[in-house]
Amino acid sequence: MSVLIAASVALVVVAVVAFSIGRLSTLAEPTPTDASAEAGFSRDMQVHHLQGAELAMIVRDETDDPAIRLLAYDIAQTQSQQAGQLYGWLRSWGLPQAASEPSMTWMASAPAGAADHEEHDGGTHEPGQPMPGLATPEQIAELQAATGVDAERIFLELMIAHHRGAIEMADAVLERSTNTLVTPFATSVVKSQNAEIALMEDLLADRS
Amino acid sequence: MSATPPVPPKIKQAARLKQERAEERARKLEEHRRREARAKRNRRIGIWSAVAGGVVVVALIVTAIVLTPQPRTYAAGGDGAKIEGVATFDNQSEHVQGVVDYEQTPPVGGAHNPAWLNCGVYSEPVPNENAVHSLEHGALWITYDPSLSESDVTELRAKLPSTYVILSPFEDLPAPIVLSGWNTQLSVDDVDDPRIESYIEEYWQSGDVPEPGAPCTGAVDAPGKVS
Repeated sequence: MSVLIAASVALVVVAVVAFSIGRLSTLAEPTPTDASAEAGFSRDMQVHHLQGAELAMIVRDETDDPAIRLLAYDIAQTQSQQAGQLYGWLRSWGLPQAASEPSMTWMASAPAGAADHEEHDGGTHEPGQPMPGLATPEQIAELQAATGVDAERIFLELMIAHHRGAIEMADAVLERSTNTLVTPFATSVVKSQNAEIALMEDLLADRS
Repeated sequence: MSATPPVPPKIKQAARLKQERAEERARKLEEHRRREARAKRNRRIGIWSAVAGGVVVVALIVTAIVLTPQPRTYAAGGDGAKIEGVATFDNQSEHVQGVVDYEQTPPVGGAHNPAWLNCGVYSEPVPNENAVHSLEHGALWITYDPSLSESDVTELRAKLPSTYVILSPFEDLPAPIVLSGWNTQLSVDDVDDPRIESYIEEYWQSGDVPEPGAPCTGAVDAPGKVS
């Protein structure tokens, strides 16, 4: 009889300890909250990427230059897929796609632990200001109205600025997060978009 | 000669035996006492160890519960935010040409044009059949009665996300402002109604629409596109 009691007690103790360890293990990487840099980045970068895809799709119909069309295909596909990743993260974190703060609020304050804050890199941003590198409706209209080499030039100029903005946002989240989903993504954005800027500057030089 | 009479051997033996037994008893008693004391000490150690163990386990549970983040009360795409007054419907999807006679006003689902309406701000009423397609992609269609004041329209516009939203006036709207998503709708009387923000949080780019993630650019603009 006492063996049975001892065994039951032992079982309960093991279950309770296992539960606690399981719960405590989530502390190592807590799920991002609604106002976190991770959530803000996921929302704002989707908007940014979707515009990149939009611009690429516009120019692709306006020129038959193979280099530009290929670059545009790449940008449209890649940035759409990446936007999908960000959408999925928010869902799996149990967060709404819509922000309850103005866009870029997550980037408005200096990262915790930043002593000397430089104005620029990985920097801060005024909440409510348009995202870095985003094309204005007028610029999009200009691209839509152009064809041929003119369209290519406008596209390249817009996209270089667009990429610089994306890199700024990615740097900003790298300074504010250690999340193992977000940081490799942001790192790859920085690398790949820097490489694309170099390519686009060459293409633009060939067309001036 | 009056010497003590010698103790006969039998009596001596008996006395010795008695003494031996007494010593034996004393020894056993001593041993028993020692064993008892040890058992008592062991019991005490056992009890205190169990208590300490119990305290550790309880502390562990309490820490685990207190330190882990609270479960979110919002469930993305679920009926997390029970917003008062939201009506839901059961329209199906279909691509058709031409004008559609919709059940709801403004329409929130059903057959629609193959081309979606590009999201944005419109100063004129937009075609239903294109707007409904945008709803299928997760956009919200915010409609206002044309008599709504300009300052109210501006205030309404400021609350909306910059993408995946169509803002347009709508003739003969049943309320001053109506917010629609795929198969959901909310009418409000006032641009200050806090349910506007709740509705957006719950339904904007919802995962429950037929085609989440589909674009709201690159198709057709309607006349009067402001932005």
